[in-house]
Amino acid sequence: MIEMKDIRKVYQMGKVSLEALKGISLRVEPGEFVSIMGPSGSGKSTLMNIIGCLDTPTGGSYFLEEKNVAGFNFDQLSSIRNQKIGFVFQNFNLLPYATAYENVELPMLFNGKPGKKRRQRVLELLEMVGLVDRQAHRPTELSGGEQQRVAIARALANDPSLILADEPTGNIDSKTGQEIMGLFVELQRQGRTILMVTHDMTIAAYSERTIRLLDGHLVEARQ
Amino acid sequence: MRAQLVHLFAKEFRKRKKKSALITFAIAWGTLSILLLMSFGRGLGNAFRISFKGLGDNLIMVYRGQTSKDYQGLPKGRRIMIYPGDIALLSALIPEIGLISPESNDYFTITGGGRETNRNVCGVGPGFGVMRSMIAERGGRFINEEDERSARRVAFIGWNVAANLFGGENPVGRTIVVNRVPFTVVGVMKKKLQSSAYEGFDADHVYIPHATFSRIHTQLFIDRIHIQPKRPEDNQVVERRIRQILGRKYRFDPEDDYALGIWNTIEEVEVAGRVFKGIEIFLALIGGLTLLIGAVGVTNLMYALVKERTREIGIKMALGAKRRHIVLQFLLETAFIFSKGTFWGAAIAYTIVRLTRLVPISYEITGIQTYLLRPIFSLDILVVFLVVLGTLVFLSGIFPALRASRLNPIEALRYE
Repeated sequence: MIEMKDIRKVYQMGKVSLEALKGISLRVEPGEFVSIMGPSGSGKSTLMNIIGCLDTPTGGSYFLEEKNVAGFNFDQLSSIRNQKIGFVFQNFNLLPYATAYENVELPMLFNGKPGKKRRQRVLELLEMVGLVDRQAHRPTELSGGEQQRVAIARALANDPSLILADEPTGNIDSKTGQEIMGLFVELQRQGRTILMVTHDMTIAAYSERTIRLLDGHLVEARQ
Repeated sequence: MRAQLVHLFAKEFRKRKKKSALITFAIAWGTLSILLLMSFGRGLGNAFRISFKGLGDNLIMVYRGQTSKDYQGLPKGRRIMIYPGDIALLSALIPEIGLISPESNDYFTITGGGRETNRNVCGVGPGFGVMRSMIAERGGRFINEEDERSARRVAFIGWNVAANLFGGENPVGRTIVVNRVPFTVVGVMKKKLQSSAYEGFDADHVYIPHATFSRIHTQLFIDRIHIQPKRPEDNQVVERRIRQILGRKYRFDPEDDYALGIWNTIEEVEVAGRVFKGIEIFLALIGGLTLLIGAVGVTNLMYALVKERTREIGIKMALGAKRRHIVLQFLLETAFIFSKGTFWGAAIAYTIVRLTRLVPISYEITGIQTYLLRPIFSLDILVVFLVVLGTLVFLSGIFPALRASRLNPIEALRYE
């Protein structure tokens, strides 16, 4: 699914260059559930951004489903994000003026899925996360847990094989967090690959494998 | 692009009502002021043309003069008179002449409708009315060929004379007495704008056939010849030919500008036309510069709109929006604001122009109001304006849109 070799990322800040990733090699098999841990500044977010095709590495190679995406341009990466990857953020990142329905629909609008199929898919996903009756609500009218469930439904809109979650339970209470994690486990059971950044050991415990980052290095890969 | 996506953009746009209302207002205001500026500018030029036409339509007037050069043994300072026979001579020798008419005038006491007044009475030919843009009120007519041929005692009177003698009554068919000779009124002049005149405005005159005038007046020579060339562009040729022909007849140097007085209104109108075109261009230029300033303002506001939505742009990018989706969204918004703003601006400008044109203007004085109260809202002004404004708005929208599309998705997502 994911194969990274000697990935480096250098940020140039004026005359100072900051090396956020210092040669990461990582392999994730299809259907794996991997959590990424590490202290602040260890490079977790940078790694997630590169895996999520939101950023490009300075060096190294990154194969996503056998495609080397390291050299892709913006629009090619957009297509990859749209088709292959679903994002779940800590702060949900829902469009505030759009309803739950419209938020879930959005990724399909960017790839031009026909209206009827789109509608069917939105309702199917809202059904899955248990929010069909709240489809006309805006994010401000939903609880944190509900918002995150809308975000998960949105992440699945184009049926991606890879789900990237950045502290998905960070902004919700622990009970709701467990429900959310239940959804992730279900997604893995469906055969999707899940990569999740977290600080929380109990959340990381839902994954099959945890990798640790420290100062831009991969220090441990625990099975 | 999917209609649903456009629908979403529209929804987002509505959320930004306040800021976009400000831009809409700015564009509406700019549209309004520039369209008014140009409409009034064009109206000014047009009113000038109409009022100048009030004196005459493509008119060349020939007067008596006095030589200022010695010629063929004759001393300078000789008076040059013109006579009725010159009319036939000129029209026979100058094929470029379309209409020609003599004019002689004097002041007479006129009675009619039980009242008396002292007026300028002009003896003129049938073509005079056309040349001087004189139109008869309904039910009347100007002096015709037959009147001239038979030296009929008929009169065509200015609207002031009509009001003076007959008040509100219709003078057509009534009798007026000029110099103890009775005349039948055959027509009353319709009101017209007139910016230039000699011996008073046409509204105050009484017109009778020239042949009749010769019978009630002892004067042998004529005061003026009115000539309208077939084609206005021939005015210089006609003017030169008049000097040559009459110079040969009365023995003066055709190069002597003072031997004959010639008032070539065609040339004058052409010069004035250029001046007014110049004013129009100047106003358009001012308008253009104003628009440019406005465009800078719109650009700024659009940048602010982009900045405000940085995070949303980041979310869309993460979900797979391509650069063109982002550019399109902002361009659509700009286009929408532009259409709305120009629609209201143009509608208000049009209304103001229509209302201004309803204000009655006086035909008595050629005051400033005559020129200011007849603005013209023409389609070509609007089209040119829309093209210019559209280009400016596109330019002011495209840069913020491009900036939005080039945002780094990670930074955009972090934007608070």
